Amino acid sequence: MSDLAMVQEDVPGKRVPLVLGKQDFHSVTESVAGIVEGPTPHKWKLLFVLALSILLILLGSLGRLVTKGIGVWGNNTTVGWAWDITGFVFWIGIGHAGTLISAILFLFRQKWRTSINRAAEAMTIFAVMSAGIYPLFHVGRVWFAYWLFPIPNQMGMWPNFKSPLFWDVCAVSTYATVSILFWYVGLVPDLATLRDRAKTKTRQIVYGIFALGWRGSHRHWLNYERAYGILAGLSAPLVLSVHTIVSFDFAVSIIPGWHTTIFPPYFVAGAIFSGFAMVMTLMIIARKAFGLERLITMRHLENMNKVIVATGTMVGYAYAVEFFIAWYSGNPYESFALMNRAFGPYKWAYWTMVSCNVIFPQLFWFKKVRTSIPAMFVISIIVNIGMWFERFVIIVTSLSRDFLPSSWAYFRPTIFDITTFFGTFGLFMTMFLLFLRFLPMVAIGEVKSVLPAADAHPHHDDDGHDAPGSEGMSKEPVHAA
Amino acid sequence: MSSKSGSGKTSKGAAATKPEADAPEPAEARKAKKSEAGAALGSSFKLSSEQSGKLMRVAGIVAGIGLVLGGAGFASDSKRFAFSYLVGFVWLATIGLGALFFVIVQHLVRAGWSVSPRRHLEWLSSGILPACAVLFVPVAVFAHTLYHHWMGEHAAHDELLRKKAAYLNPGFFYGRAVVFLVLWAGISLWFARTSRKQDETGDRSLSQKMQLASAPSMLVFGLSLTFAAFDWIMSLTPHWYSTIFGVYVFAGAATSSLSALVLVTIALQKAGLLKGVSTVEHRHDIGKLLFGFTVFWAYIAFSQFILIWYANLPEETVYYRDRSAGSWMVVSLALLFGHFIIPFLGLIARTAKRNITVLAGFAVWMLVMHWLDLYWMIMPTLDVGDAHFSWIDLGGLLLPAGVGAVAVARAATGGATYPLKDPRLAESMRLENA
Amino acid sequence: MPREPERNKKGDRPAVDAGHAAAKAMSEAAVEPTTSSTEADSGEVFALMGRFESPAEITHACEALRDAGYKHFDAHTPFAVHGLEKAMGLPPSRLPFIVLGGGITGLVSAISFAYWSQAVDYPLVIGGKLAFSFQAFIPIFFELTVLFAAFATFFGMWGLNRLPTFFHPVHTYPSFHRASDDSFIVSVEARDPKFDMTKTRELLEKLGAREIGAVEA
Repeated sequence: MSDLAMVQEDVPGKRVPLVLGKQDFHSVTESVAGIVEGPTPHKWKLLFVLALSILLILLGSLGRLVTKGIGVWGNNTTVGWAWDITGFVFWIGIGHAGTLISAILFLFRQKWRTSINRAAEAMTIFAVMSAGIYPLFHVGRVWFAYWLFPIPNQMGMWPNFKSPLFWDVCAVSTYATVSILFWYVGLVPDLATLRDRAKTKTRQIVYGIFALGWRGSHRHWLNYERAYGILAGLSAPLVLSVHTIVSFDFAVSIIPGWHTTIFPPYFVAGAIFSGFAMVMTLMIIARKAFGLERLITMRHLENMNKVIVATGTMVGYAYAVEFFIAWYSGNPYESFALMNRAFGPYKWAYWTMVSCNVIFPQLFWFKKVRTSIPAMFVISIIVNIGMWFERFVIIVTSLSRDFLPSSWAYFRPTIFDITTFFGTFGLFMTMFLLFLRFLPMVAIGEVKSVLPAADAHPHHDDDGHDAPGSEGMSKEPVHAA
Repeated sequence: MSSKSGSGKTSKGAAATKPEADAPEPAEARKAKKSEAGAALGSSFKLSSEQSGKLMRVAGIVAGIGLVLGGAGFASDSKRFAFSYLVGFVWLATIGLGALFFVIVQHLVRAGWSVSPRRHLEWLSSGILPACAVLFVPVAVFAHTLYHHWMGEHAAHDELLRKKAAYLNPGFFYGRAVVFLVLWAGISLWFARTSRKQDETGDRSLSQKMQLASAPSMLVFGLSLTFAAFDWIMSLTPHWYSTIFGVYVFAGAATSSLSALVLVTIALQKAGLLKGVSTVEHRHDIGKLLFGFTVFWAYIAFSQFILIWYANLPEETVYYRDRSAGSWMVVSLALLFGHFIIPFLGLIARTAKRNITVLAGFAVWMLVMHWLDLYWMIMPTLDVGDAHFSWIDLGGLLLPAGVGAVAVARAATGGATYPLKDPRLAESMRLENA
Repeated sequence: MPREPERNKKGDRPAVDAGHAAAKAMSEAAVEPTTSSTEADSGEVFALMGRFESPAEITHACEALRDAGYKHFDAHTPFAVHGLEKAMGLPPSRLPFIVLGGGITGLVSAISFAYWSQAVDYPLVIGGKLAFSFQAFIPIFFELTVLFAAFATFFGMWGLNRLPTFFHPVHTYPSFHRASDDSFIVSVEARDPKFDMTKTRELLEKLGAREIGAVEA
């Protein structure tokens, strides 16, 4: 295992291999499909019980909410939106990293994504599910939730298309749908692998049905690859639009601190930031637990850390510009809102946010930190906390002190606010554990396609003194030094 | 931006200048082509003295026309010329800045596909940005005309402007401008020189050095561009503010610099100076980026618009009111269609991005549209109520554009047309779009 | 591509072929029962298949088959082997046109539905904005365009591939399970005019195929 601890140096002109060790096609199949086929690990069972019990907490809190009403939350007349929408934006943001990895990095030909995209996409779907809980239950009478959609109903009315909340319904449901389609398209060849390896009739039938009779025909691959590329091309603007529209929920209003034009790109950067942090947290655990260190290498983790520091800095840029313009605008409400954030009753939340999102990630400028597993694990959790606080700060501080001082109020969460939020982790974990157990957590086919052996023209370098300065041709070394 | 790990698209004869049609190519033909391309290398990686002469002449002529038109414009209406010149100056500066952005970002992500385009971006940035330091002088001289709202006397009686005086005051304004221009010139020259040094030594550590410098450079770039946009454009209407403004200007810089890159790439390819180094695949990739940033521009423009339109606050909507008054509405719509819808539909197809004529056509188009975008941002301060295009505007554009062209031509004639010994050159040559 | 005349002797038996419009071809074949003596003894053969062990091998094999004039052959690989479509001489996918159609449908239906529901059926003036404020509807137009385009991509792709097809003759090849693991399997279909049990087998042998065997339709 010595090659795992080693930090791979990327010398210009020589690319570090994407997977480590002597991997061939079969060993990739074995190491990923083996996880699904092997006996259920005890640790998994333990975790699953834990996740289920947290999920029960969610169900209990929601049950209380439905039977009693929204009043069980701490929302008051001034702070009408609080932990619920904070939780919603938090989870939606987390989902964005999955799409970023699967779609945007695909468009940029970032092949290192192949080891992590499957799990990240799964994370997207489960995060969007968790996010959906909040608006769904915040409507109060959840059995009327279909009023959110433009479906003919007994009132003979349509949803208001001018409302950003309706845009949100469209955006999030489109996002959920497209993410599932994209994920499933990616899964089909791997499901065929599982079908072909199935030892029991049940597995063969179940995986067989979902594999749709895939037979790896190149005539199919041709359409498949095109579909994958198109779905990536559609998902890239889609993912931007989703958090943009989430930011519109706030920014089209006139509430100081909400109404500012940088919100759309700033929310998107923040979403990617928090999502990558969540991917880090999960992948560090999963690669260790399932022994996938050779497929998800230090290089993958380091790249993700770089994305975290880059997006964290963008978020810092947005904080700074917001502050500057609040002063520059000369608008007393705007500057009050920002001063209130930083030095008002919620200053503890504000400074938690700034230190978690802007200060701690800067440690990733140092390679030592970027490549230290304990350090990145801690920082990834810090970032997750910070991003939750970011939404809380934006939402609650602006609402709690608006134009009318007589209606100012301080928000205090009730136990049900806390348990609902905590409970969504149970939903997320339950789904993620089921995914780890029954579906290939690494895209088997895609990882094979980036192995050196996958090159159909492996001799192209041998005769090539193609270029001056080509002495260190970037042919990938077959395995780690 | 691109290909970081994984050596891009491997496979295929590396250098083969592929025909546009994706016809199956027997392996032999591929090999033959490759050796041909290999032979072509080394013979022509520099502009011949004839080509350099021609390039300098053309740039000189543009600069000459610009000087004459600009001089005449200044003589006939100095106020209008000041605004027209600001449009032209920012147009040129944003091309240089966008180019600088892509130089930095390619080192930042250790891009492999874009080695030869990087050299051309180095020409654009290291040519234009130092020239801008000189070209800023007229802006500084005209500042009291351009920014009279807050530089003039009545600023002292304006309560809002009094609040902003700590930032919006002439001394600080000039000081910031000097800092921005020096930083940009310094960073762009450093990257261009270091890269050219590698042409001679082939020293790998230079690549690492540039990689190391890229992250802090990016920070400097982002902040300086934002505040330059606030200073030079947003402060024309000093009561108005928009936090996204820096990003908006950046989006324009990205599209315009990519358009310029497309034109440089095509010109060099046609002159046979990039045989085997830069092919239709590179054009395709640059085209994809151009397409992507066109959409990005639309996204940022829409975000700014919808938030201001929706909230309908008087201090903000004034910006769009001025730009939808009278014939300005036509310009606004021209931007919607010309800067987004037409290039979006035109460049979406793979075949369009791989077609020289289409791609070059859209590159020119986008450069014009970028000028129109800046015109739309700057000129309503002068032409209140209606857009009045004038020949003076052309002088205001051609003067900086001509000087910029001479500066870029000088940078281009100085050395090799692609980084000869960049360690990732071979990877770049193997580029192939699936 | 003009369809090759059908040579399958048992033309009335529909081969379960995902790649081509089998049923139509079969009915034509029934009208035109051309018999080839070599195929007479191959009976119900669907294809001759062989296994390769690397992308380079199968690319070479497909190039050879293509150059030998075969049209109805296929490669079954665990991942999309880059450049294989050129080796097989396949035309590019038609999927983008389907997606374009889906996207346009989405956009048009979004605009017309927004117009009808917001300006005709139940006009509401909110925030002092016009009933049909297209600016505010752009997010919805965008989302619906993407949604329809994504559905078109998804269903279009499976449609073009004629999937799901839960049974296909190639599945009966003994080593076929390795096509989703580490093997690159080629199948030359019997309906190909160039198909000849002996000659095709020889060609595959020459190309280095392992475990050459026929599968029945």
